[in-house]
Amino acid sequence: MKFTLNWLREYIDTDLEPARIADHLTMLGLEVDACVPCYPDLTGVVVARIEAVSPHPNADKLVLCDVNVGQERTRVVCGAPNARAGLVTALALPGAVLPGGFTIKPAKIRGEESCGMLCSAKELGITEDQTGIMELAADLQPGQPISQALGLVDTMIEVDLTPNRPDCASVLGIAREVGGVIGKRIKPPVAAPPTLAGENLPFSVEVESGADCPRYAARLIKNVKIGPSPWWLQQRLLAVGMRPISNIVDITNFVMLEYGQPLHAFDFNKLAGGRIVVRRARSGESLVTLDGTAHQLDSEMLMICDAEKPVAVAGIMGGANSEVDAATTDILLESACFAAIGIRRTGGRLNMSTEASYRFERGVDPQGAPKAMERAVQLTVALGGGEIVAGGVDYCEGVVAPAPITLRGSRTRALLGMDLTLEQIGAALTSIEIDAARIDDDTLRVNPPSFRVDLEREIDLIEEVARIVGYNLLPTTLPMVPMSFSEQDPLRELRKKVAQTLTALGFYEAINYSFVTPQHCDLLGLAAEDLRRQSVHLLNPLAEDQSVLRTTLLPGLLENLRRNVNHQNHDVRLFEIGKVFHPVESSQPHEPFRLAAIISGRRNPGAPVLYTGESPADIFDVKGVVAQIVESLRLSGAITCETCVVGQELPFAEPGSVLAVRGGTQILGWCGAFNQKTLKGFGVKQQAFFLDLDLAALGGVAPQAKNFASLPKFPFAKWDMALIVPVGVAAGEMLSAIHGCGEKCIEKAEIFDVFQGKNIEGGKKSVAISITYRALDRTLDDETVGKIHQKIIEMMIFRFNGQLREA
Amino acid sequence: MPSMHEELLRLKAAAGEELAAITQLGELEPFRVKYLGRKGEFTLVLRQLGQAPPEDRPRLGQLANEIKQELESAYASRESLLAEAGGGAAQAALDLTLPGRALPFGKLHPVTQVMDSVCSIFEGLGFAVAEGPDVEVDFYNFEALNIPPHHPARAMHDTFYISDSLLLRTHTSPMQARIMEKERPPLRMIAPGKVYRCDSDITHTPMFHQVEGFLVDRHISFADLKGVLSVFITRMFAENTPIRFRPSFFPFTEPSAEVDIGCVICGGKGCRVCKHTGWLEILGAGMIDPEVFKKVGYDPEEYSGFAFGLGIERIAMLKYGITDIRLFYENDLRFLSQF
Ligand SMILES: [Zn+2]
Repeated sequence: MKFTLNWLREYIDTDLEPARIADHLTMLGLEVDACVPCYPDLTGVVVARIEAVSPHPNADKLVLCDVNVGQERTRVVCGAPNARAGLVTALALPGAVLPGGFTIKPAKIRGEESCGMLCSAKELGITEDQTGIMELAADLQPGQPISQALGLVDTMIEVDLTPNRPDCASVLGIAREVGGVIGKRIKPPVAAPPTLAGENLPFSVEVESGADCPRYAARLIKNVKIGPSPWWLQQRLLAVGMRPISNIVDITNFVMLEYGQPLHAFDFNKLAGGRIVVRRARSGESLVTLDGTAHQLDSEMLMICDAEKPVAVAGIMGGANSEVDAATTDILLESACFAAIGIRRTGGRLNMSTEASYRFERGVDPQGAPKAMERAVQLTVALGGGEIVAGGVDYCEGVVAPAPITLRGSRTRALLGMDLTLEQIGAALTSIEIDAARIDDDTLRVNPPSFRVDLEREIDLIEEVARIVGYNLLPTTLPMVPMSFSEQDPLRELRKKVAQTLTALGFYEAINYSFVTPQHCDLLGLAAEDLRRQSVHLLNPLAEDQSVLRTTLLPGLLENLRRNVNHQNHDVRLFEIGKVFHPVESSQPHEPFRLAAIISGRRNPGAPVLYTGESPADIFDVKGVVAQIVESLRLSGAITCETCVVGQELPFAEPGSVLAVRGGTQILGWCGAFNQKTLKGFGVKQQAFFLDLDLAALGGVAPQAKNFASLPKFPFAKWDMALIVPVGVAAGEMLSAIHGCGEKCIEKAEIFDVFQGKNIEGGKKSVAISITYRALDRTLDDETVGKIHQKIIEMMIFRFNGQLREA
Repeated sequence: MPSMHEELLRLKAAAGEELAAITQLGELEPFRVKYLGRKGEFTLVLRQLGQAPPEDRPRLGQLANEIKQELESAYASRESLLAEAGGGAAQAALDLTLPGRALPFGKLHPVTQVMDSVCSIFEGLGFAVAEGPDVEVDFYNFEALNIPPHHPARAMHDTFYISDSLLLRTHTSPMQARIMEKERPPLRMIAPGKVYRCDSDITHTPMFHQVEGFLVDRHISFADLKGVLSVFITRMFAENTPIRFRPSFFPFTEPSAEVDIGCVICGGKGCRVCKHTGWLEILGAGMIDPEVFKKVGYDPEEYSGFAFGLGIERIAMLKYGITDIRLFYENDLRFLSQF
């Protein structure tokens, strides 16, 4: 809602600075979005009368004007087509700075002295009119500053209205709120509208349903002269960003802004049968509205019709078939109140939103119609001539008087936490024209005013009291509540812990949108029957590439990787913990949390190259990350990371470079290398490794209990062996064999070297293993350890078809 | 085979030369082990004394002992010399301006960092944390919060729909209704999470993060709302942050408020970020509307409470001076590493 300070001051007597008014409004809940001067600084621009015009000796298109600027005469060269003797216009004197930043100086134009510049409205930043120099009223005093003469000193204030305050979609409504602050009442232009006699009218109004249309007032004005509005009216509309059209249309707009009551003017002679029928549209009916759009109507939509056809969409927009135009002589003015719910429905169906529908959707004062009608009639007669046809229609059968509300002082005090007397409460309400009468020591009876359609309950009034008292004057306390322990969500704790581990391992956290492009599934090469292809679709996505909810986190990270590489960041470790979405028949989707991470580039991003070198990450980096997550969650015993075959689930992985993360028989996820096709698809030009885990399933695995074991009292002995085995033998199995051989003294077995090539027969490899032996009850001597070690070597040679490598 | 005499002299020369070359204290010990230790070279030579002709043994024994003593004293003086130098010359060889051997570490996303600090302030005040579904039913997102179909307030939420009855939640407020429906007061909860609106420009992304919170018990007042949110703001920003509460409208609270803090960019003087008002809006709040209580079966005469909601990205932007909200979702390491 936009208005200007001068406009406001027509209804409320205040000399508050614009900034103070803006501040008051904001603190009343009418948040001010803008408070700016309406017009540029026009110092040095004055009213001037052209006394005589003579031709320019050296230019056909220019004239020399003898200009009266009050005390003196001056000569100005002018090229405007409308420069003529007797014209009162605007003159920018030397020294004036025009809105564009142009400074006026005395000059010689084609050899002739020119002392200033006659200006168009556009050159002065007043309107867009640039057809010629300004044409001002003949009675303006030459020499007077133009700002003063035209009232060009004003401030535009824009309020961001909340949906509950349609009463403030009017300058009078805003003035009422300001009045509450400064302790003054508003002076509306129409105090009490006349009662309208409904007999012997040359037109009729029928309203089908008082529920759809609680009130409908109509009056006829004949022999109106359609023409432009006077400057003061245009100025008001221009200042709030509305285009002046003609006196009649401008009046309806002006009164709507003034009273908050939308009005409509029909060309009476275009109404068949001189009848207005307010009814629902019939099936098959259609209407072309003023904006030129054709609409198919249905029985849910309320229409204003004549004897034959719809002529307006009620409360939203008039029809082209009854539009007031230059030839109009008789107008039928409508000032009505339509039910909010119906306007919302119709506006939604027709996808139309207008200044009128904005107000009706939120609720218009049902008692406002006659006042706005009277105001519009007075203005029409004053500005457009015309004769009012005596009497008129004021249908008001649908108007329901608001029910009185009981307001308790005790309740108000308890909810606001402030000690207010009943008198203070009553005074707060009365200050904004809400009548409150005392019933007993604790109770007020409040009759909500008709313009405050939002006041229906006691709580609505308590809010009004808080608003008027001022939120910042209410006390500030801390609640007295019983102590209680709040349960922790284990999944949330798990997410935090995993995130902590990953950041400690050099990963940055990524957050990607939940909605993605459906093409991700193709880029990953997912099979047609893959569950991840079944996604939740948005009905109204912003774009096709944000049209489905993600079923995997990997594409987002791949896109992040591409972005980083494209910006010359080649060493990337990113993870994301977030929901994926799987549709569930006729219900909310399943939203499990997953953990995904990506590693690409150098193994040690961020660490000095000096020490770590440029060695690129490989699959063992991502496998190590899985191991560390598992270890940090104390799940080492329960979760394994096993070689797996690239099956249908992992079409994006490089065969032979994938590991399945298992908890018992359940697969919790995978880690491995992306294949080249996938990387290419996502525009990533370097190798990348992933891990993708079901976080909820990970949380479902029971961690190892923390049980203390006494520290060993006796030293260990570490013995090595190097075995030459066929290359196909898995090192992991060799370790398992050692651990599983039943020897109690084995504390640890570790691979410390795997070697192929020089001095090793083809098809074989050397695996060096170091075994730590320790007994809990004694120091193991060399002889004992030697015997066990020898036994293990023999067992390994036998099991893995190996031989001992000589040192 | 050289004679034992020659061998001893060779050892003496070699050891002397090697000792003279030692410049660091740490190299002394290996030297000692090599020559003078129990298994050192002198010991080995002395063990062969038994194989020398008996007439030569005393002479060789004496020579060996002399050399050994000589070396031991040279060793001791070398040791004190190096110790005295205090590493002077030795340390100069270490260039300590070279970088430390740091292990890599990453960081949480700035949204997570801010979310965690918001949550921990309220957790410190005894609020429990609950998270709800991102895909919400229309009822909890709107109707349970007193926003019936066609209500103008729905226009404030540009909603992504999945079906007639399913949508991406436009706020985390549905958790208010879901929790109150299941539990009885006293309640103190916060609900952090992702929310969605179809809007995208320099200050709006179609997905962002919110924390919703509410407290319900007997005798809870608007003054309590002010108190709790003031504590939050002073913890989140600074002890002396100016705070103001102004009336606003939310269908599920009444009285409703918006909470502003003094502009952190210009210190209240007025700038582009605060639209020259000196204030920045950071929270929406209000007393829970009696209609919301009725829908979950609480008697509004018995219980009262307040609710609030705040946008995490907005707070992160204000705290860190981030000017484009879209940066949060590009996951550019140049951005992520700044926080
Ligand atoms: Zn500022």
